Amino acid sequence: MKTYRYVSVLALLTAGLLMLPSYAAAQTAAQKRWDPPKTQDGQPDIQGFWGQRSDITTYSIQAGAIDREEHTRLGGQATQFGRPIIDPPTGMIPYRPEATERAKFLNAQHRAPQKPEYLDPVSRCFMEGLPRLIYQGGMRILQYPTYIVFLHEWSHHFRVVYLDGRPPAGSNIKMWMGDSRGRWEGNTLVIDVTNNNDRTWFDIVGSFHTDQLKVTERWTFTDPDTIEYIATIDDPKIYAQPWKLKVDLGRNKPEEQWESAMCEGNKAVHVAFDLPFEHEVPTNAK
Amino acid sequence: MKGCMTVRIANWIMTAVVCALMPAAAAAQGAAQGIPRTADGKPDMSGIWQVMNGASWNIQDQNAEPAPHNWPWLGIPASKGVVEGNEIPYTPEARAKKDANFKNRATLDPEVSCFLPGVPRITYMPFPFQIVQTPNYMAVMYEYVHTIRHLYVDGSDHPEGPIEWWMGDSRGRWDGDTLVVSVKHFNADTWFDRAGNHHSEEMTLVERYTFVDRDTINYEVTVTDPKTFTRPWKMSMLLYRRKEPNFQLLEFPCYAFDGVSVGTRPKDVLKPHKPE
Repeated sequence: MKTYRYVSVLALLTAGLLMLPSYAAAQTAAQKRWDPPKTQDGQPDIQGFWGQRSDITTYSIQAGAIDREEHTRLGGQATQFGRPIIDPPTGMIPYRPEATERAKFLNAQHRAPQKPEYLDPVSRCFMEGLPRLIYQGGMRILQYPTYIVFLHEWSHHFRVVYLDGRPPAGSNIKMWMGDSRGRWEGNTLVIDVTNNNDRTWFDIVGSFHTDQLKVTERWTFTDPDTIEYIATIDDPKIYAQPWKLKVDLGRNKPEEQWESAMCEGNKAVHVAFDLPFEHEVPTNAK
Repeated sequence: MKGCMTVRIANWIMTAVVCALMPAAAAAQGAAQGIPRTADGKPDMSGIWQVMNGASWNIQDQNAEPAPHNWPWLGIPASKGVVEGNEIPYTPEARAKKDANFKNRATLDPEVSCFLPGVPRITYMPFPFQIVQTPNYMAVMYEYVHTIRHLYVDGSDHPEGPIEWWMGDSRGRWDGDTLVVSVKHFNADTWFDRAGNHHSEEMTLVERYTFVDRDTINYEVTVTDPKTFTRPWKMSMLLYRRKEPNFQLLEFPCYAFDGVSVGTRPKDVLKPHKPE
């Protein structure tokens, strides 16, 4: 009797153990070990041109197929299927109950905004904020011993991420792109983005935040042509918990970055509010 | 020995005598030797820079004036012009245009909409800017409306036109220790200052950036525009390194300010669409 029971328990345990994934398989891309080329001062060398491979559109980061149909109907442009939110597993932003009303309101407004402030700030040529800038378009990375520079052609955005341990700006200073401080943990660049204002949206349909927003980015260099980007978004005022989104970045062919003048000639508000289409500034050109 | 010519003389005493006897040359050489350099020996212009002058108001001589709006005590300081000879050689038509621009500057200046200010105006807007440098490319990141200028220092030519950019296209090369940047492909929509000084889409520029000492760069611009001016003309000014501890660029996205952004200006009459 005892032997039988012992054997059956052992069999169960063994079966259970066999069902567990091995530690190696459970490692994420982030934990794979490789020795990347380094800059002169010893940072993993991620310099170069990068762009997203994740099929994410800035139209809506939550619902995939539903918004695809609407985006195509409104704008004649087929959107993509990527759903970047990886935590919570539903792919939806975990709003606090008191914040869901505003989220629904902004989502409804975006089709026919009743005030300019209900029209996507990026459509109005305003700044992207983070992490939206990372799934908006490509970038160039330059590394120096005490800072890393990100240059984005889209609407001429740039970030200087200080690595030298200096504190961020005082909490009264609030910026569209926040203030970034970075450090390396092995092959992962961790950037804390603080000092955010409340003016940016994560997508066109109005995923909003307050000025309590903190974004923690993890840029993990997984192979010579791949960076796995995961942003943890925390805003205790309106989210029940921090949430995460992922963007797969791949190395792009080096190409000159040129001018991208978004405000000059922007007519989004004119179109949405029937303002006359006069040239904004009289020109000297004939 | 810092500030002294490197002279291969066997006897160290002779070296010391040579240095003592050549103070002027030593000072010049000292400036050249004292400036920061990159690994490939070029002057290293990385850092944060800013002008200290009144050129953003007027590139020519300017008297003190009350501010042209509700707060007169926030006025315009007096400043000496940055234009060589204080004369801008306009054609007669272009001079009339400048006078009309000045008269209507409160509505005509592209800065009213916070548009990209063009070159060289971006350099002397009263905001800091940051240079980062590689052997074949330099980026200039400006706090004013987060403007970026891409300076390609790789021997490439300007792309073929016609192209009309607000900030032009910039191709740089080193002439000794001077960074020489050719800027071409402008639109006609930017001004040189708030006083209505203007140009056409045919304008081309040559900028020269030269260290005066570790923390000061002499910035000189030659302007050529046969459609607007009877001859090329020059301006020059100093760029000062911002040395405050932990100094960094912040943001000035004035296009998003209420009263500037479309839909919030006093004369905007909004007719929102009905939701479907």
